[in-house]
Amino acid sequence: MSRRFTALVVVAVLLAAPLLLGNAFLQRVAALVMLAAISASAWNLIGGYAGQVSIGHAVFFGAGAYSALLVYKLTDWPPIAGAPVGVAVSLLLACVIGLPTFRLRGHYFSMATIAVAELIRIVVSNWQFVGAAVGLMGPAVPRSLADLSFLSPLPYFYLFAAVLAVLLFLTWQMQRSRMGFYLGAIRAGERAALSLGVPVLRYKLLALLLSAGFTALAGSLYAVMVGFVDAESALGILISVQMVIIAALGGAGTLFGPLLGAAILIPLQETTNALFGGGGTGLTYIVYGAIILLIARFRPGGLLELLHWRRRRVA
Amino acid sequence: MILLQVVVGGLLLGAVYALFSSGLTLIWGMMNVVNFAHGDFVMLAMYVAFLGYTVLGLGPAWFIPLAAAVMFLFGLLVYFALIRHVSRGPMLAQILSTFGLALLLRYSAFWVFSANFVTLPDTLVGGNFAIGGLRLQASRLVAGATALLLTIGLDLLLTRTALGGRLLAVAEDRAAAQLVGIRPDRMQALAWGIGAASTGIAGGLIALFFYISPTVGESLALIAFVTVCLGGFGSVPGALLAGLAIGVIESLSAYLIGPVYQDVVVYALFVLVLWVRPQGLLGRA
Amino acid sequence: MPNVRRRLLLLAGLLAAPSLPVIAPPAAAEDTVKIGVIEPLSGGAASAGQAIKAALELGTEIVNTPYPDMQGLPLAAGTGFPGLGGRKLELDYADNQGSPAVGQNQALRLITQDHVVALFGAYQSGITLTTSAVAERYGIPFLAPESVATNLTERGFKWFFRTTPIGPDIARAYIGFVLDQRKQGRKIDSVAIVNDTTEYGTSIAEVIKKQADAEGVKVTQNVTYNVNATDVSSQVLQLKQASPDLVIFISYTSDAILYARTMKNLDYRPPIVIGDDSGFSDPSFIESVGDLVQGAINRSAFAPGRPGTLSYKMNALYHQRFGRDLDETSARSLQGFFVLVDAINRAGSTDPGKIQAALRATDMKPAQLFTGYNGVKFDDKGQNTESAMLLTQLQGKDYVAVWPQAEATGSLQLPYAGWK
Repeated sequence: MSRRFTALVVVAVLLAAPLLLGNAFLQRVAALVMLAAISASAWNLIGGYAGQVSIGHAVFFGAGAYSALLVYKLTDWPPIAGAPVGVAVSLLLACVIGLPTFRLRGHYFSMATIAVAELIRIVVSNWQFVGAAVGLMGPAVPRSLADLSFLSPLPYFYLFAAVLAVLLFLTWQMQRSRMGFYLGAIRAGERAALSLGVPVLRYKLLALLLSAGFTALAGSLYAVMVGFVDAESALGILISVQMVIIAALGGAGTLFGPLLGAAILIPLQETTNALFGGGGTGLTYIVYGAIILLIARFRPGGLLELLHWRRRRVA
Repeated sequence: MILLQVVVGGLLLGAVYALFSSGLTLIWGMMNVVNFAHGDFVMLAMYVAFLGYTVLGLGPAWFIPLAAAVMFLFGLLVYFALIRHVSRGPMLAQILSTFGLALLLRYSAFWVFSANFVTLPDTLVGGNFAIGGLRLQASRLVAGATALLLTIGLDLLLTRTALGGRLLAVAEDRAAAQLVGIRPDRMQALAWGIGAASTGIAGGLIALFFYISPTVGESLALIAFVTVCLGGFGSVPGALLAGLAIGVIESLSAYLIGPVYQDVVVYALFVLVLWVRPQGLLGRA
Repeated sequence: MPNVRRRLLLLAGLLAAPSLPVIAPPAAAEDTVKIGVIEPLSGGAASAGQAIKAALELGTEIVNTPYPDMQGLPLAAGTGFPGLGGRKLELDYADNQGSPAVGQNQALRLITQDHVVALFGAYQSGITLTTSAVAERYGIPFLAPESVATNLTERGFKWFFRTTPIGPDIARAYIGFVLDQRKQGRKIDSVAIVNDTTEYGTSIAEVIKKQADAEGVKVTQNVTYNVNATDVSSQVLQLKQASPDLVIFISYTSDAILYARTMKNLDYRPPIVIGDDSGFSDPSFIESVGDLVQGAINRSAFAPGRPGTLSYKMNALYHQRFGRDLDETSARSLQGFFVLVDAINRAGSTDPGKIQAALRATDMKPAQLFTGYNGVKFDDKGQNTESAMLLTQLQGKDYVAVWPQAEATGSLQLPYAGWK
């Protein structure tokens, strides 16, 4: 009961916070926290709950981002209309990537996902139809409300928060269902899970599909907000790594871990950049890197451990 | 003739990949720790070599061992200060901590040396020569030969010495090793030291013909990961084989299909090989 | 590296004392005029961003302190902005980290938190695209001094201005040079273009091909590769086999260094080499492999020129301060900077609308410029219609202006020498 209460308080504070921030930059940071929390929570389904550490989720993010702006380019519809296309494409990609790579264990799986993601990034950055190296552009000037191009970051914040809420609700449901139990068994050990009669492949694929779909949605939302996409910014390896470190930072395999990770990492990135970036000495990343390192050194299970210290360590 | 030049170039490039991956094989393959900062270790070694040459006036015969020694100590430091605390935790903690370490190293170098590119003179170990129309570069040959020696040395160390036996025992089963009187912490620290030292040798050699910049590790690291994985984790000869194969495939596909798709070919073949052999080329099943 | 030891010590200190409080930059005096500068100060393009920042620091000093020697250069003679009662200039730098989204965040921060009166940047075309969109929405003038992508000025923006020459200008210069050489009897029947697949590489290659086609120059080979290559032997072998009369490299520094070395290793010396701007202009490229690419031809909007000229004096100031020549990318940025501060001064106000109007009314003459532009005047799209460039050749450690004849300060030396 008290846990649920804490969660409610946290959510309420999070929702109200941007209103108090009265500054567009900080509000935008808050919106970016939500966006990063969506993709990290989506990654968490396969990487955290099922324990399959994918470092190639940029593929799905990119599918969403590219679909949004490609639909705009081809049809002149608002970019958000491309979101369903992006989700569909990434579900397809998830099957194509998942079926062969799920044979692989541990590091081999991680490396295979990196390789596939890099392969797709190179192909996309040379593919004229999707803008090749130049990338794709959203509407330069918003034409209607449907373009979802707002001056204030607040609408983005609440839009992202709503998507995140749906995702977290689904995750919560899943966690309590048979699927949550199965994924836990898979994470603990695939062979054991198989011998217990868990349909391992089916549930891994199911988790990946759910994960890929929401990651693609995050990608579409990103493209709508930023209005530009190229191979490096949507499919680069850093996009994949960021999802992993956000989830790991907060606590992988926990419901609120990725949100906590995003709430720490994104403002950390932005403040270090705002404080030190202009100096041009690289101090931004020295501080940022050191903080990540220290967190990992002292809280290997993620920061959420601090809140749930009585519970057994996860992941 | 041109094709032969391409293949020879590919083999020498592959030797560089093998060399670059040698330290990673030990750290990642044996200790099962993902080191995202590997490329930045090599970057650091390259700067040690560069400083050895420009500040101390050392030649390659001295600055390469210097880089190895510095990196050995650095490996120990990283192990005791960081890795020891995360190595038995979840894989994600390793990713997180070594990613943080990578950024810290990369931008510390950036701060000290600025973003500029520097190079060592390309004539330090002799220039170029031609054998029957085949053009070769002394520094690359030295790097290739060293890669071979380093691989053989590491393999012998692991398979033929008592120390190697202990290292493997700890990698295999920490608790059991402890029971027979091996101190796992020491062994793992030593593995990190040796791994980092071979990274030092690699960095010193690569600095002879490549450029040096704070972000140089980033562009080389991914191919090292692929090399180690393709070879099979824990297999030192596997990494050499994989490195050579990747080098030749890259060069041939760059020449025959086009440089843009050379990496696509490598990644595609990599995934294909894993599909057929999930444990890599020479990995244990 | 004069700073290495000091910085190492500082770094050690920093790591040893993480508890040190973060020292906030001194609060700016109320009456400065702030311009937001967004450049890549970290990541792959950092060396360019750092060089630009250095040049802009010199520019700020010229504006804020009297430099009576720099005759003709706007705002050089007095202190600060005379049009605003002598208020001083302050540049507010931000790092775009090579990411379009980060660039946007920083633009927003500079506008809403730091209240800059104009934005300046952002080097990579993709980031200029996203950051200028933020400026457009907020109604803040944005001046792009170096991004060349054509689509930037095709968006119908009202607050966007660009001083640099763009792709088609560059292509015209190169092909004009080729035609000129042909007239003088040099054989240029086959041209190879080597470019990376970044936005910079592909777009410049594209416009050169188009221009060459239109002028009857045959591009016989196009070698493309991915940026930050680990090895370029195959590419060089392909070139060596086809042996074109002219090779045009469009590469960033890392790859340009590899090409320079690999060409020597494989003993490949094309008759003429053009090394387009980016990598071949980078001071650290010239420093490390300049003696392997002697005679490489480059485009430039800037050449130090003859003593007594504004460009010569600017280069001397830069040289005195940083110990090397002003590179071409930084020179274009610094030129754009002077256009912007001149407009703010003429606006006589920090009101964005008035600055925008002043930028529109810009009509600068060559005597006010230190780059080789014929002037600065913006069309409806915000593009400078008077931008121009000349071709330079690497001779020793310096690029010497060699084409067109009228502006040449040295003689063209062909064939390409490469290494000694």
